[in-house]
Amino acid sequence: MSLYPAFARPRDLGQAADIMGGLSTGAMIIAGGQEVMPSVNYGALMPEVYIDVGQISALKGIAEEDDGIHIGSSTVHRDVQDSEVIQSKIPLLSYAAAQIGGGMQVHNRGTIGGNIVSMHPLYDILPSLLALGAEFDVLRGDGETRVALADLMRDASHGLGSESLLVRIHLKPMTPGAGWSYEKLKITAGGYGSANAAAIVTLDGDKITSLRVVVGAVSALPIDISDALGGCRGQAWSDHLAEEIEEKASAEISEPLSDHQGDGDWRRAMAGVMARRAVEAAVEKAG
Amino acid sequence: MEDMLEDTVLVNLRINGKLHELEIPAHKSLLDLLRDDLNMTGTHMGCMTGHCGACTVSIDGRVAKSCITLAATLGRAKITTIEGLTQDDGELSPVQQAFWDEAGFQCAFCAPGMLMCTTELLDANPDPSDAEIETALAGNLCRCTGYQSLRRAVKAAAKLKQNTREAAE
Repeated sequence: MSLYPAFARPRDLGQAADIMGGLSTGAMIIAGGQEVMPSVNYGALMPEVYIDVGQISALKGIAEEDDGIHIGSSTVHRDVQDSEVIQSKIPLLSYAAAQIGGGMQVHNRGTIGGNIVSMHPLYDILPSLLALGAEFDVLRGDGETRVALADLMRDASHGLGSESLLVRIHLKPMTPGAGWSYEKLKITAGGYGSANAAAIVTLDGDKITSLRVVVGAVSALPIDISDALGGCRGQAWSDHLAEEIEEKASAEISEPLSDHQGDGDWRRAMAGVMARRAVEAAVEKAG
Repeated sequence: MEDMLEDTVLVNLRINGKLHELEIPAHKSLLDLLRDDLNMTGTHMGCMTGHCGACTVSIDGRVAKSCITLAATLGRAKITTIEGLTQDDGELSPVQQAFWDEAGFQCAFCAPGMLMCTTELLDANPDPSDAEIETALAGNLCRCTGYQSLRRAVKAAAKLKQNTREAAE
């Protein structure tokens, strides 16, 4: 074994599967490098082999198909933000991708797939993807399997596993007329959030007919609190409902993060505030 | 499978217009390649974790942080560094000139990021709002100025570019 890492540039998914299958440990898939490289520079990660998936055309691009919208995993955040299909059909994702920290430089190179597989608690698009019911095509060995983000997150290992490659993200267009919002509590323009929430709401008149709410950056993984807020259905927006959402959202955070972004009790309280603001903004936009 | 692994990687990078055919080790960041191998030290090493933006270059027309870009992944990319911003006659670019005129910087360690991001912003958007300037510069930290002089310099650069365009017409 060389002192320095080796490099592999698979041209298609078949070659990628061969390379991943032939290596035991120590291989690291790299695309934009915006997650991998800081960890390498910091000394937290020492790959023995880099597998550069940037040449694989099957991982690129955004397409609208009969069964929904497909986003290749190596699509960069900037292209998710700028895509007309995503802006018109899934505006929540377009907006959330623009809130990713690190500035335009990171938006230009960081990929949606890399952001997802890192499963970082403070990153910006998982809450929206969970609220949108995202599903993934994952390459393992010779075959692709479809897995829902919600199922993936229930897995104790919290990830795809080193032998897997995230190929594309499947999303359904949002219901026309649905209101949406992504709220992020942050200290600096390009920084991480201390709490965030994504919300999607549909209304009949002024009554809420459905709502999806996910809170993030307050626990190890985003938490879908839609069921806990089920009692909001049939109600119109009011100060009383706002208080109820804030209380119930905070109550769902059983193990809050406590780090340099803020201590646990405060994060739990802010989760409620973000959920309230997100639902209020979504209700305003709906109709 | 073993024959798919390379110990070194061949890249053909066009840097500030000049073609460099380079055989590089897989682990090398674009920042180290520029500074250590090519002696292009205008691109600064700051945090090495992608937070500060002092290492910003442009890759295929889009700004990027070179400290968190693995050089081996770049293939045949076109790269512009801060050294490539000056015009062919050696004069400062309008963006550089405006930052100079407005005293946009104090220590200027952050200059690569501020100048590369402003250049890309004004190429796409000749008359940006304050919010658009903040978004464009959000990936760059400045520890001297409090950002007010930087915003002023970006606005001056927009005006200077517009005047240059009008003079040419």
